[in-house]
Amino acid sequence: MEYHHASEMNGAVEDYLKMSKHNGWCRDEKESKNAADEDKLPHIEKAYTTILSELGEDVDREGLLRTPLRAAKAMQFLTKGYKETVQDILNEAIFDENHEEMVIVKDIDLFSLCEHHLVPFFGKAHIAYLPNKKVVGLSKLARIVEIYSRRLQVQERLTKQIASAISEALEASGVAVVIEAVHMCMVMRGVQKMNASTVTSVMLGTFN
Amino acid sequence: MRRRTAGTADPVLFNGHLTGRFDSGPCVRRSAEAPATGTVRRSDPQPPGAEVDPHRPAASSVMESWREERTRSVEDNEMSLPAIAAAYTTILRGLGEDPQRQGLLKTPWRAATAMQFFTKGYQETIIDVLNDAIFDEDHDEMVIVKDIDMFSMCEHHLVPIFGRVHIGYLPNKRVLGLSKLARIVEIYSRRLQVQERLTKQIAVAITEALQPTGVGVVIEATHMCMVMRGVQKMNSKTVTSTMLGVFREDPKTRDEFLRLIRS
Repeated sequence: MEYHHASEMNGAVEDYLKMSKHNGWCRDEKESKNAADEDKLPHIEKAYTTILSELGEDVDREGLLRTPLRAAKAMQFLTKGYKETVQDILNEAIFDENHEEMVIVKDIDLFSLCEHHLVPFFGKAHIAYLPNKKVVGLSKLARIVEIYSRRLQVQERLTKQIASAISEALEASGVAVVIEAVHMCMVMRGVQKMNASTVTSVMLGTFN
Repeated sequence: MRRRTAGTADPVLFNGHLTGRFDSGPCVRRSAEAPATGTVRRSDPQPPGAEVDPHRPAASSVMESWREERTRSVEDNEMSLPAIAAAYTTILRGLGEDPQRQGLLKTPWRAATAMQFFTKGYQETIIDVLNDAIFDEDHDEMVIVKDIDMFSMCEHHLVPIFGRVHIGYLPNKRVLGLSKLARIVEIYSRRLQVQERLTKQIAVAITEALQPTGVGVVIEATHMCMVMRGVQKMNSKTVTSTMLGVFREDPKTRDEFLRLIRS
């Protein structure tokens, strides 16, 4: 870019800083959170190596050579919701709109980890809200689901957290969240019921 | 075409399709410092994909070697549990969670027990499962057991794999108890696995136990490592198959099998 005057450049720099400040604190925070992740990785990796050898496996065989690292990274990905906040993702996507009819986003694929057995549970989330002059970008509802589901969770708490987050962010007249999920801890082990699914719901405001 | 021999003791050759021991993969080892449990340390098995010795052992000696198979025992499980639980506590802390909060207090123990359950295939031997359920029956039409639910663990990411197994075989005067096919699936799937190897291990085990004219195994599975992370493709499925003997050589037999498992 060409600047004819220093003040122009200062203006451009200021604009850039303003732009990056908005994402940039998040970016700095994100960078420091990523760095914290990197620091923790060797510990988690070592723990997985212990688990593999205690299960009776041969940690030096070809298929398992990098498994501790992969499993550690996978686990960090599956719990990445801890690093994210609703504020980060919602900040700009709330719009004033004169709409008071129900808005539903359904069949949002959801993947989480059971906090009791560290085994996945997955299913679909359906979200409805009655706007009170404010609507939210539709994908943000799915992002809120992601934030809370990518953690060690209990389905009841997950449902409530999603509902509360939307309610607080939008000050909506009513919010309803229904989650239907299959828990691998029930399917793969324990009672071993293949076709059982769990449904939880939270109804706030006028939905109640 | 397979060479059929007159007697029942002679080995069955499948044009070298059988590659290596059925139990290639994990070698169950305990450290030298562990208290003696009276078990013998086994030498390393052949790596997967190794070419088989052309002089295949007879069925009875295969059964004998299965009898000597070293497995993880219930005592081994009890001894390892504290170490695995401690490892899970480290993992929880490393992920930024508080292992002392109410929901997570007993999680390391639960997760350790769960993981031992998911790898209980190492505790079981084929001989225990099969020993009494091979019957002489004058039946040489196809036998299929399909839609066997299968749950395994990806050995690369330690994340579940689940799906269905379809097994078909053409008996050669010997049939197997039907639930034993499902039990063979359980033994090999409850391990750290790769879907290709799992398919082959099931097929080879049935072949070595029964010497049938042919065996076909098809597995259709969803890999959570692809669905929950990585590429994140929700609807993708992985299909692998192993066809041995007449299932491999005769297209009509194979077609009949594939058609029957599809419906």
